[in-house]
Amino acid sequence: MISQQAKDSIERIFLYSARTRLPVDSSDACDITALDAQQANTALASHIVVLTISSIAFRFLLVLHFNDDQATRDYYLRESEERSLAEALMEVGNLCCGAINQQLVEFFPDLGMSTPYQLSGACVPYLTELKPGYLAAFRVSIGANVQLGATLCICASSPVDFVAYVNEAEESTGELELF
Amino acid sequence: MVDQYVIAAALAGVAWGALAGLFVHRWWYRKRAAAQRQTTVDAQSTALAQAEERHAAEVRQHEQQARELHALVDTLRDDLAQQSVSAEEAREALNALHLQKDEWLQQATRLSTEAGRLRHLSATFERWHEQMISLMSQNHDMHAKNNELSSIVRHVLIVSLNASIEAARAGAAGRGFSIVASEVRSLAARSQELSKSYHDSLNRNDLITTATFQDIQAGGKMIAASLASVEALAGQIQSRLEQATT
Repeated sequence: MISQQAKDSIERIFLYSARTRLPVDSSDACDITALDAQQANTALASHIVVLTISSIAFRFLLVLHFNDDQATRDYYLRESEERSLAEALMEVGNLCCGAINQQLVEFFPDLGMSTPYQLSGACVPYLTELKPGYLAAFRVSIGANVQLGATLCICASSPVDFVAYVNEAEESTGELELF
Repeated sequence: MVDQYVIAAALAGVAWGALAGLFVHRWWYRKRAAAQRQTTVDAQSTALAQAEERHAAEVRQHEQQARELHALVDTLRDDLAQQSVSAEEAREALNALHLQKDEWLQQATRLSTEAGRLRHLSATFERWHEQMISLMSQNHDMHAKNNELSSIVRHVLIVSLNASIEAARAGAAGRGFSIVASEVRSLAARSQELSKSYHDSLNRNDLITTATFQDIQAGGKMIAASLASVEALAGQIQSRLEQATT
């Protein structure tokens, strides 16, 4: 139901959005590697942040995995110690999902995005309960020490087929308006 | 004397001749005048005939023109009648269009109002959000209780294991107690499995509840955005129809 070129497009959009939105500083290194299919529905960390983009034909879930460890805390709570790490990751996830939403709206005019929600990493195996047509996992390394994970899950009720190419100029400058 | 007679006769002859000449002259003159009059009369008759002929031709021409004018008047009358019918039809069509435009304006106004009213659906989505938060809070509470239960079960397992050890130390006297301790350990192990299964069910419930709620929430935003577009479009149509009316 989801064409291969649509899956490739989603992956390109995610890679662009993750590279431009997940690092706190645009100069920080962000290395993303795709994991094999067996790890697509396994927990990559102890906590996850879930966001959903809904359209008439499909729903897209972005799952951001993170551990509440010192390296992640030091990176994402550098300036505001008032909030929790989960809150910081929900904000980052919201930015990343917003960038994906902005790219997808070019192809699907009727889209809406949810607010982020934090769950236990133990929930990830149950993504298969949603009967996804596309499930992919990625390991995200930011800077020297921060390790995140990301799972993309698309559940389609109608055929989904589109081709999207990310504008490399926009990706390099990272000045894309989100909302 | 004769001479006198001759002279007299001559004079008489001359006189008669003169008289005769005079008469002849007068006769000739009258004849010529009559001939001239006749000529004049003939000429006038000819001219009259020609004038009558011209007049007749003009009359015929005028009659022809009059017939043509009558035909033209008839044609114009028919045209006027047709134009009147067309104008009446056009007036009726215009009135129908005015009515239709008024109806469209009413419908556009209604559509705009309805779209504006439906924007308040966001309150419904907010209510769902609150209920979802409540549901997730309840799930969180069940997680905590299950963790507590799991902790108790683990403790019971340790206690039952200790009881088995103590029963073994007691030897034959502790045989009955050993059976009870073993049964308690078996029950604790089953409780532990049940607790783990319950823990998995709660995690599954968390994910499905969150995914479902987020789909509803995002779908609600999608609907709200679509309704805002419909409302803006309806407002534009309404504005244009109002401008067209004024």
